[in-house]
Amino acid sequence: MNRNINRAYIPISYRMATLIMFLLSAVNAAMAQEESWEMPRTSWGDPLIQGYWSNSTMVPLQRPEHLGEQAFYTEQELNDILRAEFDDEYGETQAGTPEDVHYQFDDYLMNRTADNITQNLRTSIIVDPPNGRYPELTAAAKQDLEDFRVWRDKYQWDKAQNRTLSERCLIWDQEGPPILPLGYNSTYQFMQTEDYVVLKLEMIHDVRIIPLDGGDPAENSLPQWLGNSRGYWDGDTLVVKTTGYTGRTNMPGLRRAPMSVDAVVEERFTRVDETTIDYQFTVTDPTVWTQPWSGNYPFNAIDGPMFEYACHEGNYGIVNILSGKRTEELDRMRAAEQ
Amino acid sequence: MKNKILIILGLTLNLVVTNANAHHAFSQEFSVELPVNLKGTVTKVELINPHSWIHIAVVNDQGVEESWMIEGGSPNSLFRQGITKNSIPIGAELEVFGYQARDRTLKAVGRDISFADGTPLFFRGTRLPD
Amino acid sequence: MFRLLVLCSISLICSTTVLAQSEGLPRRDDGRPDISGIWQVLSNANWNLEDQPAVQGTVESLGAIGAVTPGKSVIRGGRIPYKPEALAQLTSNYANRRTEDPEAKCFMPGIPRATYIPQPFQIFQTDTDIFMAYQFAGAERTVFMDNHMEAPIDSWMGWSNGHWEGDTLVIEVAGLNPNWLDRTGNYYTSTVKVTERYTLKSPYHMDYEVTIEDPAVYEDPWTFGMTLYKRVEDNARLFEFKCVEFAEEMMYSYLSRENYFRNLGIDISGDDEDE
Repeated sequence: MNRNINRAYIPISYRMATLIMFLLSAVNAAMAQEESWEMPRTSWGDPLIQGYWSNSTMVPLQRPEHLGEQAFYTEQELNDILRAEFDDEYGETQAGTPEDVHYQFDDYLMNRTADNITQNLRTSIIVDPPNGRYPELTAAAKQDLEDFRVWRDKYQWDKAQNRTLSERCLIWDQEGPPILPLGYNSTYQFMQTEDYVVLKLEMIHDVRIIPLDGGDPAENSLPQWLGNSRGYWDGDTLVVKTTGYTGRTNMPGLRRAPMSVDAVVEERFTRVDETTIDYQFTVTDPTVWTQPWSGNYPFNAIDGPMFEYACHEGNYGIVNILSGKRTEELDRMRAAEQ
Repeated sequence: MKNKILIILGLTLNLVVTNANAHHAFSQEFSVELPVNLKGTVTKVELINPHSWIHIAVVNDQGVEESWMIEGGSPNSLFRQGITKNSIPIGAELEVFGYQARDRTLKAVGRDISFADGTPLFFRGTRLPD
Repeated sequence: MFRLLVLCSISLICSTTVLAQSEGLPRRDDGRPDISGIWQVLSNANWNLEDQPAVQGTVESLGAIGAVTPGKSVIRGGRIPYKPEALAQLTSNYANRRTEDPEAKCFMPGIPRATYIPQPFQIFQTDTDIFMAYQFAGAERTVFMDNHMEAPIDSWMGWSNGHWEGDTLVIEVAGLNPNWLDRTGNYYTSTVKVTERYTLKSPYHMDYEVTIEDPAVYEDPWTFGMTLYKRVEDNARLFEFKCVEFAEEMMYSYLSRENYFRNLGIDISGDDEDE
């Protein structure tokens, strides 16, 4: 049969090849630097960060607790972890179990090991507090989280507006800012003019327009999901300050630890070699966190172009989810009547 | 032993914190109690987000043709590898193992999708369960 | 003789004005017109590309705020040359416009509609490609100025290949998902090809001309034109218009717990939440 697919069936050895490539590329590529590398520049002299980038990584946001203040793995430790992650991503769930109800992520190259990105030895993206984990929430934020869990258990299926922000195709938690890696489609397009840096996030085709006037982001602002950003070049580092969030966005992993309206985020982008931008950020939000927290990870250069991620326009999912729930409720009602 | 703990703990936390697919309530949309094995021909391909959908015409046990929608993943990584809108030909014969929509409409999540000759769709490396 | 003198002096004035206009255009270092900045139309085209008298809107309880504003056709030749067999879809679109207009659903409006939706958009001219960010629904697109390729996939905002013809930016857009062109339901399908022409006329306005070709819908290609105005206020900027949450009630409320069971005639008011 003549099939038009560009990639024909790739046998199991593809997985081995990917694993080997993946482990070999770990660390080493990041370490190798050209002796005489010179910062590429735009036609008007700013450091060049324009292009396509990925922040796909196996490094977790929060450090595993038992590691304490260990900020880096050894290469051997990392290889062991990556091997286990790889096995997990390509692992099989058992047919007939609830865990099996999904499409297979690696069929669609949605697994991070397929991204073939440069690894780094960090044990977590968060670098401060020193244990690499979220700091403690304020008492008010803890209460808010608890109240939310109670509400969610009762009302989360009632209507579309009660579903999660990402299921509704409104915004992904990882869009921030700060920008955090996703499980897939961790792809970005950075663009530059003399007056602006424009960051386009693949998910959900969101665009951050950052004026380079070094102004106060609170000036001429309105509450926004992605906040209001203003930036400037500090030597070869792009510094971006963001305020004016809506108070409705959440931090990953904590379904209700919102970026409050008082949050201030500072990001620093520095190109360090031909294929890497070093990204650092600090979140200061005294309404939610008992102390500021900071993170650090690299963006890695990838080939373009980027493809459209139009979420809401194709969101059969939310209809199916609500419909499924209503059917389940109706079935239960009918069963109870008998 | 320490390495093992390292791996297990690292895994668990990694999944919890960075698992982006948690956004989609699979188990609410599709039911583990409604597994399906379908054979059909492709009538429409929607390589879209947040999930792709392949439409197939299936002749059921009563000899009646049904139109099923099979859910798959985000196609953007496939596009980066050169898959295009022409990559799955209309009329291709597919075999699907999956789980039907909880509301019992003719939709299913495609757990395993392959061509009729057993060749997996896209990049899969395993076969359909017997 | 006197008439000749008048004509000569008029033409002298005219040609000097034209010269002044093109000399007065802001230009980039590479000599191209600088079209960067925030732009917006004042046209009525988003209501209707063709002649549109003022009429009642689809939601009477909005009063005059919901009414349709008047405007003349922007189309060269006045009307869109639909094929007879394509008119049924147009009629159906119009009849269902309150709920089926992609704009109402907060779908990305595609090209060209994104240009004349009555919200601003911003053009960025980089060292390589041109990028356009639209306030409505956060729509955006990259205009590839080299490395042109055919659209590998279809998308809501299409695949844009751009080049300069003198001082006119020409953008060819294909790979568009089916979409509407205005609120009355004028539409195209995925076989459409859209050619845009942006010509800067002064630092503050641009001519925007579009040719649309879709053999599935129209007898012939057709062209429309309008003016783009620069947003010159000191504090001009785009804001977010993430409108999905404004469309959810309209799109999904039939599946809410309350409505679903009411529609089935089942009273759930006394029930505890089961879970």
